[in-house]
Amino acid sequence: MHFARSWRQQSSNLRLVGSRCTSCGAILFPERIRCSGCGSTELEDHRLSGRGTIFTVTTVFEAPRGFESQVPYFAALVELEEGPIICAMLTDVDREDVSVGKKVTMVTRRILAHGDDGPIIYAYKFTPELAG
Amino acid sequence: MGDRIEIVGIGRTCAKERWTRGLVDLTVEAAGAALDDGGDVSPSAVIVSNALGGALGDQQNLGTFTASSIGLGKVEAHSVSCDEASGGGALRLASALVGAGMHEAVLVVGAEKTSDALPDELETVRANGLDATREAGFGFGPAVASGLGMQRYGAEHGIDRSLFYHLASTAHLHGAKNPFAFLPWELSFDQYIRSPIVADPLTVCDLAPNCDGGAAVLIRKGSGKSSSSVHILGSASVSVPTGISEPITSLSLPAAAQCAMLALRDAGLSIEDLSLLDLHDSSSFIAALSIEAVGLAKRGEALLLARDGHFRFDGPAPLWTFGGLKARGNAPGADGLYQVVEATLQLRGDAGKGQIDGADRALVQCLGSFGATAVTHVLG
Repeated sequence: MHFARSWRQQSSNLRLVGSRCTSCGAILFPERIRCSGCGSTELEDHRLSGRGTIFTVTTVFEAPRGFESQVPYFAALVELEEGPIICAMLTDVDREDVSVGKKVTMVTRRILAHGDDGPIIYAYKFTPELAG
Repeated sequence: MGDRIEIVGIGRTCAKERWTRGLVDLTVEAAGAALDDGGDVSPSAVIVSNALGGALGDQQNLGTFTASSIGLGKVEAHSVSCDEASGGGALRLASALVGAGMHEAVLVVGAEKTSDALPDELETVRANGLDATREAGFGFGPAVASGLGMQRYGAEHGIDRSLFYHLASTAHLHGAKNPFAFLPWELSFDQYIRSPIVADPLTVCDLAPNCDGGAAVLIRKGSGKSSSSVHILGSASVSVPTGISEPITSLSLPAAAQCAMLALRDAGLSIEDLSLLDLHDSSSFIAALSIEAVGLAKRGEALLLARDGHFRFDGPAPLWTFGGLKARGNAPGADGLYQVVEATLQLRGDAGKGQIDGADRALVQCLGSFGATAVTHVLG
């Protein structure tokens, strides 16, 4: 992820801020300029709860450039409790604790590092909710 | 479709790692073969399809550079890029130029040069064919997306991973008869089941191999005088909202389904009228959904039909008769045009060892951005 792109999207990357369409009520993630449901420009920021469930998950052994050091990693579709489904890595979890339907919550983690001296990109990952 | 478009010339390069050929060389090699095949038909426009070249630091504005390199002089030239659907998109736009009467004949060329890039660089650039920010930017590429899809397909339909073998083995069975194929050998079950995992349960053998390649088609407005020539009987292109979650959650490809339906309607044909098909098989998951999208199989039954030989040469619906992306090789910007060249060879009766007896109608469909873009052509 390019550094400038990450900076531009810091509110969605770090706080899961999406959009709510005041015309049709759709909850959208990430933030939009125009509602992808009804086309309205009447949108307001809407911070998502960060809670969701694993819809499906895979263990990745061959990664694109920049993600090699994290292999093997868990890549999941997470269905947020507000509705949107997002792509995210799972973290702080063992394979035996990863399963479809598991409740997860958002945490902020390192996504990419641009070399030893370059900027570090932080954004969301998900981890199992603590019991109780 | 109004006046039908005639395919008067075809050309292709071997789909391999072509160390001595650059991107423009590949367009020139394929284009030259199509011009030679087209006899005295001279195009006044060139459309070149390419998916990755600019992002990989290779030649941009390929239409103009290709036209210049093959000595066409003063022509109209453009480049088209829509991920792995680029070739189909270029042919559809070229057909529109001819159909609108803007040009008598148009040369359509597709090419990709993947072997100059290191594998992780290539995977990164290919991932940007998905959502560059929300998918590629979070470590999700086409292989990861297909791994997620295979997980869900197996769970939803109660299908064991090993059944996906029958899609890859069908493609390889046919690719073994194609001297231009990248992997022209049959795939054993043992090879498939032992291949390294990329994104569980997806393995190397569930992915079409990246390769270099070029394919070209020379078209003009159909004269209708020759019953032996090949025409575009129908075509369509459909794009739907992007995102890998839709195919994975719904286990369907809405763009592919609607696009095939519209192209067949345009041609006035039904799927039962077809002698052969070529569908997008960039991964086993996409191949299964493509088969179900165009109506060759009911939901969840694509692998069962493949197991029963339904899509083999001698089956009721021959598929990937030159090996598809899986065995012929995946040169993303050229994929859609390889399909058209290979289908034309079948319809001409020039398909060699892989010839389908009496082939007279073919449907080819290419997809981009994990099925968000679909382009379909019906030939006959």
